[in-house]
Amino acid sequence: MKENPDMDTNASNERIDELLNSYIDDELTAEQKAEVERLIDQDAKIAQRLRQLQKCRILIGSMPYAEAPSSVLEGVRASLAGRVLPSEEQPAYEEQAGKKYVLLRKVLAAAAMVGLAAVLSVVIHRIVPIQTAPEKPVAVEDRTAESIKPAARMVAASGFSGRLELKTSALNAVDAFIKSAIDDNGLSASINPERRQGRRIYSLSCTRDGLNSLLADLDNIWSELDSATLFVNTEVFGTQTVIDAVTTKQIAEIAGQDSPERRIELAKDFAVLNNMAENLPDKEIRVAIEAGDSSLTQQWRILKPVLTSNQKAVKKPADQAQEKQTVRLTIILDW
Amino acid sequence: MTEAANPDIRSRQVSNMHVNIDDAVLIKQYRNGDSASMEQLVLKYQNRIYNVILKICADPDDAAELTQETFVKVIENLDKFEGRSGFYTWTFRIAVNLTLNYCQRNSRLAFRSLDAEQDQQDDSKVKQVLKDFLSDDSSPDPAAEVQNKELYRIAARTLMGLDEEHRAVIVLRDIEGMSYARIAEVLDIELGTVRSRLSRARSKMRDILEAILR
Repeated sequence: MKENPDMDTNASNERIDELLNSYIDDELTAEQKAEVERLIDQDAKIAQRLRQLQKCRILIGSMPYAEAPSSVLEGVRASLAGRVLPSEEQPAYEEQAGKKYVLLRKVLAAAAMVGLAAVLSVVIHRIVPIQTAPEKPVAVEDRTAESIKPAARMVAASGFSGRLELKTSALNAVDAFIKSAIDDNGLSASINPERRQGRRIYSLSCTRDGLNSLLADLDNIWSELDSATLFVNTEVFGTQTVIDAVTTKQIAEIAGQDSPERRIELAKDFAVLNNMAENLPDKEIRVAIEAGDSSLTQQWRILKPVLTSNQKAVKKPADQAQEKQTVRLTIILDW
Repeated sequence: MTEAANPDIRSRQVSNMHVNIDDAVLIKQYRNGDSASMEQLVLKYQNRIYNVILKICADPDDAAELTQETFVKVIENLDKFEGRSGFYTWTFRIAVNLTLNYCQRNSRLAFRSLDAEQDQQDDSKVKQVLKDFLSDDSSPDPAAEVQNKELYRIAARTLMGLDEEHRAVIVLRDIEGMSYARIAEVLDIELGTVRSRLSRARSKMRDILEAILR
């Protein structure tokens, strides 16, 4: 097949070979194509070489198209059957799954509380003085049944409203990821990025589904954060419930609750749980729980003390019907 | 020759046209808990993935296993799929990587054939068919050539004579019909590398064909 023994070792011929291959694969620019066609017209050897390369291509193309056996789909089905769907894992937050998850968490929390009474007393000791001194930041909003009832009447139609403070040393990378996630989820129109004092502030106003999708994406960079704190606006109470070391799933579950009372209750649960995780004397219980079901303890991963705040409530928008459909979250990204 | 000009590739594209649901929609549905969406994705791509893997690894059983493994890996890593490349490209990247790793672990594959009958076939007949094929100076007619089963056997032998990297680039281009840019994405190499690797692969194929004729 070789017309010239030196052809394969010659660099310029290698270049011609590349051009000829690109020509038959239709991967040349118009000028390159014209150059190759000129070469073919002028040099019979090159024309012959082109035909050989075309034949090599045809030879491989002559191989029959094989179809996958049914065992492939069956095997994948079997893998799927034994697998927890993403909606039951981190990214999506169906309400029903969320309820089950919270229930399981409460059971685990109760078990942990019994075993760690001494530690819990320390936690309570931290929380109680804060509650009795309202001028100072509070870890968890004090909610008695009596105090919630009037609030329910006033804000029954209100959607979730809060602020998420993220701190990271990789500010630019995380900032770029958040922007990308916002764009990917089609939330650009409802986002208002601001920049001041090296911080990035995003005022997000969207549906719950939109927020859930965004949070599912943000979960990918959660490990890059030094801290993540959620401030849940309680509106009529004039204070906020603060959850430190908050996870995306916790945020989604809180935002997914229909009533302000449920949001506050859940926020308080998460705040206590996260605080307990920080104060565990050792990791034995955590390890034991993880051994049982590692996916249930992912919220225990970020161990930070509860941050506190007594910021004023966000003013309620006039259009409550609209707000019922909308969640409002301000994301503050800082060093 | 463009992708659409290759009749085999074109027929595959037509056969896939009934699947007009966007991959991104199916992925989103699966992420929202709809496992049937993943099945649809598997059905959409399994033949193409299997076909490419089979041509690289040359064993139907191994190809089926590797195809299944590809989709399991796709499912396991779907949360990491950011959509920078298409789902098709991403899936093929996983498939080719798995297959090349497998081939490197099983060097015996180099001596396998895609056709079990090959060993029994008449060498003189093969030589004659190949000689006719190569000596014909007329413009190649793909439609006529693909009818020739002897040529298929020669093709399989030639393909298996290439090393895995060259085989992969030939299969992706000449069987799957990918553009150079797509091949670069799938193999995670530069466009220029695709160009030179493909050229070397075809030169090597010519050498193998020459050896068959001797």
